[in-house]
Amino acid sequence: MVAVELGTYTDLFSEYTELRVQENRIMNVTVVNGDVMGNSRSTGSGVSARTFSKGTWGFASNPVIDDENIRKVIGAATRNSQFLAGREKRTGYTLPSSPGRSSEDFSTKKKRFSQKEIIEFMMEIDGRIDEKYSRVVSRTSVLQLLDMEKSLVTSDGSSVYSMIPRTLLYISLSTEHDGEPVQLFNAYGSLGQFEDLFLTPEVLYGRLDEHYEHLIRKAEGVHPDSGMKECILDADLAGILSHEAIGHTTEADIVRGGSVAGDYMDQQVASPLVTLVDFANRALGEICPVPVFMDDEGTVAEDAVLIDNGILKRFMHNKESAAYFDARPTGNARAYKFSDEPIIRMRNTAILPGKSKLEDMIASVDDGYYLMKPSNGQADSTSEFMFGVVQGYEIKKGRLGRAIRDTTISGVAFDMLKTVTAVSDDMKWTNGGMCGKKQPIPVGMGGPAVKCRINIGGK
Amino acid sequence: MKDRKDITEYCVEALQKAGLQKSECFLHDTRKDELNVDSGEISLLRTTDDTSLILNGILDNKKGTISINKIDRQSIDDAVKKVLDLAESSEADSANDISPMQPPAVFEKGAQAPDLDLMYTRMKDFLKYSSEHYPSLILEQAILDFTNINKYYRNSNGADLQSRRSSYSFVPMFTSKEGTEISSFNYATFSTTELDRNLHECGTIDILMKQSTEQVRSREFQDKFDGDIIITPDCLGTFIYMIAMYLSDYPMIKGTSIFKDSLGSEIADPQLTLHSRPLSDELAEGYFITGDGFTAENSTIISKGVLNSFILSLYGANKTGRTRAVNRGNAYVVDPGAHTVDEMTGSVERGILLCRFSGGRPSENGDFSGVAKNSYYIENGEIKYPVKEIMISGNLKNLLGNIKRISRERVNFGDTILPWIQVGDTAIFGK
Repeated sequence: MVAVELGTYTDLFSEYTELRVQENRIMNVTVVNGDVMGNSRSTGSGVSARTFSKGTWGFASNPVIDDENIRKVIGAATRNSQFLAGREKRTGYTLPSSPGRSSEDFSTKKKRFSQKEIIEFMMEIDGRIDEKYSRVVSRTSVLQLLDMEKSLVTSDGSSVYSMIPRTLLYISLSTEHDGEPVQLFNAYGSLGQFEDLFLTPEVLYGRLDEHYEHLIRKAEGVHPDSGMKECILDADLAGILSHEAIGHTTEADIVRGGSVAGDYMDQQVASPLVTLVDFANRALGEICPVPVFMDDEGTVAEDAVLIDNGILKRFMHNKESAAYFDARPTGNARAYKFSDEPIIRMRNTAILPGKSKLEDMIASVDDGYYLMKPSNGQADSTSEFMFGVVQGYEIKKGRLGRAIRDTTISGVAFDMLKTVTAVSDDMKWTNGGMCGKKQPIPVGMGGPAVKCRINIGGK
Repeated sequence: MKDRKDITEYCVEALQKAGLQKSECFLHDTRKDELNVDSGEISLLRTTDDTSLILNGILDNKKGTISINKIDRQSIDDAVKKVLDLAESSEADSANDISPMQPPAVFEKGAQAPDLDLMYTRMKDFLKYSSEHYPSLILEQAILDFTNINKYYRNSNGADLQSRRSSYSFVPMFTSKEGTEISSFNYATFSTTELDRNLHECGTIDILMKQSTEQVRSREFQDKFDGDIIITPDCLGTFIYMIAMYLSDYPMIKGTSIFKDSLGSEIADPQLTLHSRPLSDELAEGYFITGDGFTAENSTIISKGVLNSFILSLYGANKTGRTRAVNRGNAYVVDPGAHTVDEMTGSVERGILLCRFSGGRPSENGDFSGVAKNSYYIENGEIKYPVKEIMISGNLKNLLGNIKRISRERVNFGDTILPWIQVGDTAIFGK
């Protein structure tokens, strides 16, 4: 990224102002059945400014990062906020401030792989699948690398630099059963650059063997019986539940927009076994998948304990919502591209581990399902959610039974969390998708396995 | 270099000089002016400029792609070197190609610049209308933007295409609340080339806002039955995009598409005719140049139930040995049917008016399931009450075959024109 001393422009700030330079670097390699169908790199960078004037915001951005354009975007953002302020004629208020200085760089220290070496890695993975897994009729491997590098200064004195990389390898395997395709995909990877995660293809072989085994069982599997069932949601599903169904309802802008959580503060919304946190950068002594040390408004990021032993305790804030709710900003304001304004986003949202053993939880279910992998998920302001489930098993008399085909689970999260009767003592993070809310953004989701009652779709 | 055509010419020449045997260049300049409402108040005016320069190069059937958002000579020269490196690093695939020589063409649609004062006035009027007519409705967010995109395409076969198009788009997102009772979140979308009417009069915005206030009193039921669903125009797009996905490159190349052997065959009830019309004057949205460097044309994908065309790119066509589609899909238009919406509702013994579908990604075999959001229970030909926590499931092939009626009435959303469609034999179940 172009090195710019943004501090030299603070004299141009006439209102509360954020000035940010950002570069996103993306790499994609897609291999389908031995053919390289995608082989691309993309770089998007630029400068943006956001200003706050009497309760209204102005924003402007430009892809050219030079002295002339930095001055231009500051001026254009200021004019935009003044355009609205002059018409809206609000009294305005002062934004809360929690300034700091931070520099965090998660770039690899290893020698970088060339494009040829990365493609050879992908072809080796593809070749192994073709050679070893005889019932696979179609295979797709997609490698996606994202580096987000940002520099920010604010008029209230913050100065931030960060380089946060993410490397993900999505593998989708298809087989056939009774003439119909059956597919199972999985995402591998997390925080870090390629060299830190995938030094050799062998690191994936064990997990690929498991992936294939689950696919074959799924092909011979059954559609679940629809209706309310006792289920064990494994860590990946507990994570998406934390994010989609609870997390979004406790984002302060969604609360202002009418979220059901707005009426539940300090009330019992879940089983006392449930504590749910949006972690800023570290959890249980480990660095999180999407570490945020300071957010894109220059606020020092802190953990937001949303549900504490079943009681709703807090919302996630940016500066403006903190001012509205008379709360402290939590450092949840994040922007995806240089041309995006920061909005309230989750960072690393997870239910904390409990005391039960997963095997004991499964053994305690007489007739239900063990649901392991989600596809996509959606939720709304009522906390009603829907998640696709692509991998799971029946539980009959305390033992895992047949695999199930793709299905959907749904419910109202604040009702469903009250049915939680056990939480496992382990924890797993995922970082495989993008959260969508005006802009996409990488998020971490995690958790233990939870035992609950949930509505499952059938056929 | 300031002139965009000079830049694309320079890029193609530089790629050729670097040794790439085939090369192409897409240059897009995008300016967006966006007015935002948050929590019922005008909150943000955002102006963004961006440039996208995409360079594709093919060397011995090996392809590399670089995308940057800079157009200075040094950045372009660096990008050209990277394209060569990527192509050299890749594997040969004879399906890689660029579009042939075509007659040079220039296309234009929409205003050059937004009317910011009118955008502000329309938004203020919308806020006033919303608060006066639907006091229980909370506008979580509303975005009115004007986007102007200049596109330039050039390749080493001599193709030279250019377009400029602009449109306003409006997306309000809302929920309703009475005491502690709230409705499910909902949203509407609309695009137009002119802000020539009130925003609430566009598309189905007013209908959805009214429904939102009713959905505060949504009810669940504990039953399971096979019944009819009437898919509203707001929801129909979700299903069309699912179906289009099976007709496009990836599932066709992988050989897993449920429609892979269905070209020329009946895949839907004969009442259904589906077009992709990116050039339509009826639509504000669309495109003149495809993503694989061709002048776009309108097409009919399903004609009276018969699959008329896949949605294959040049690469997808080369890879599968089938015909390239004359466009890349989207801009969907469904022909009107012979029934009124009231007749369709009146014919339903038991079913759901499906206004929004929140579903998992459909399986490769076409199975889908999900939640009927913002929807209504229908019994004995009458809409009874809004529902919550109701799921539906089915298979896309069966859904197309089980179409019972299509409405005369259609809604022009600016990016699609869609009717109501009644489908029988769908599994519907409560808790």
